[in-house]
Amino acid sequence: MEELVREQEHEIGRPVEAIENYKVVIRNINGWFGTKQALKNINLNIKEKTVAAFIGPSGCGKTTLIRCLNRMHEMTPGARIEGQVLVDGEDIYDKSIDPVVVKRRVGMVFQKPNPFPTMSIFDNVAAGLKLNGIKDKKLIAEVVEEGLKGAALWDEVKNELDKPGMSLSGGQQQRLCIARALAMQPEVLLMDEPTSALDPIASSKIEELVRSLKEHVTIIIVTHNMQQAARISDSTAFMYLGEMIEYGPTNQIFKSPNKELTERYISGIFG
Amino acid sequence: MARLLDIGLDRIRNLIMDMANLARESVNAALESYEKGTMLRSQIFEYSEKLRVLQIEVADFATELIARYQPVARDLRFIQSCMDIAYGFSRFGRYAYDIADVLETIGPIPDCEKSSVIEMAKTVKDMITLSVESLKKLDKDTSQKLYMMDDSVDALYRKYLRLILTPSKTNYSYSEVRCFISALLILRYLERISDHACYISDCVHYIVTADSSPRR
Repeated sequence: MEELVREQEHEIGRPVEAIENYKVVIRNINGWFGTKQALKNINLNIKEKTVAAFIGPSGCGKTTLIRCLNRMHEMTPGARIEGQVLVDGEDIYDKSIDPVVVKRRVGMVFQKPNPFPTMSIFDNVAAGLKLNGIKDKKLIAEVVEEGLKGAALWDEVKNELDKPGMSLSGGQQQRLCIARALAMQPEVLLMDEPTSALDPIASSKIEELVRSLKEHVTIIIVTHNMQQAARISDSTAFMYLGEMIEYGPTNQIFKSPNKELTERYISGIFG
Repeated sequence: MARLLDIGLDRIRNLIMDMANLARESVNAALESYEKGTMLRSQIFEYSEKLRVLQIEVADFATELIARYQPVARDLRFIQSCMDIAYGFSRFGRYAYDIADVLETIGPIPDCEKSSVIEMAKTVKDMITLSVESLKKLDKDTSQKLYMMDDSVDALYRKYLRLILTPSKTNYSYSEVRCFISALLILRYLERISDHACYISDCVHYIVTADSSPRR
């Protein structure tokens, strides 16, 4: 793992050559909200089936950055982006690429659990499949079960799949949202502060889930909880004022960061 | 605004400096005991016990700081190193007691040739001072100087060992044997103290640079 991120570190700030070594390659990304620049020349490579954490003070651009990774940023009025995001070497901003397909390949889980309020647990997980035109009930049932199992929720809800998604606890709702994302069989899962609205036990379950999910999916998580980043991620990126200040193996970032600014932030001296 | 962790770091730093002073006092008392023939075993035992208790206090408090504040980077390295440094100082106290114990067990040795021990004692006392200073100032560069001093301490120990293993006569008197045994044991303890002085400066190097000392 260390070797992997040493490579990544080495490549920050210059064009990437061996892109086939990475699941996600972020190249010279600049992002704006109207005239305000929120991301400044971000370069970052993320290896397949690893967990990358983005940390930094509020407003540093970490949420904007992950929203660029599945083309959600451009859905905000006035927002735009320059640069490339490659998933398996393919630029998701290429004109030939359908944004809907991108969102299927790169799933997202948000800060607050947001199950569809009128839908049952089953339908919440099945929603994406149905929207994509899948009608085979047996297949849908299989995918729902697989998604709920993948989100470590199956055992808790298997006998009440027709109950409203909103009847679940906050932690369960968040896992339901993860199951919904997993049902689309994404290759990359983006998580934007997925535990910030949850109690410690529910947070701990999500963290365990992230660790197990990375066997199948590449995960990129935004978190304000630095101990969470330290616990669950393989690599950590520290952002500040729209810039990527430092990116490296999580153990190195938290034990001996290279940049003074990183040290000051993770030590709680500012932010 | 100071962080809550800073209050804890100040407290652990003060504990460590208390240990440094007590450790230095213990070793000085033990060496004075050798040079002047004063018997200070019970007093040095008290020092050693205090150091042992302080070491436990540092370890407990360091654990509490980690649990409460989950420190990272330099803060974490400092706390981690405090535990190692506290162990080092507690060893100073223990070796000082061992020296005092040897002197009490062997009894008065006023006529012994003491120059080897006195020479090494001077170097080791300087090393303790240097290691404590490096800790106070967080000076990462002291370790190289201490390594050189440690080499000279090791050489002196080996030289004395060779000396007593190549006897110049066949029959040594009982008092001469007591001189050899006491000197050899004390030199051995001093040699260990010298090692721990180096370990303490290694910790300082690690706190400042995040790298283990090059000699390790």
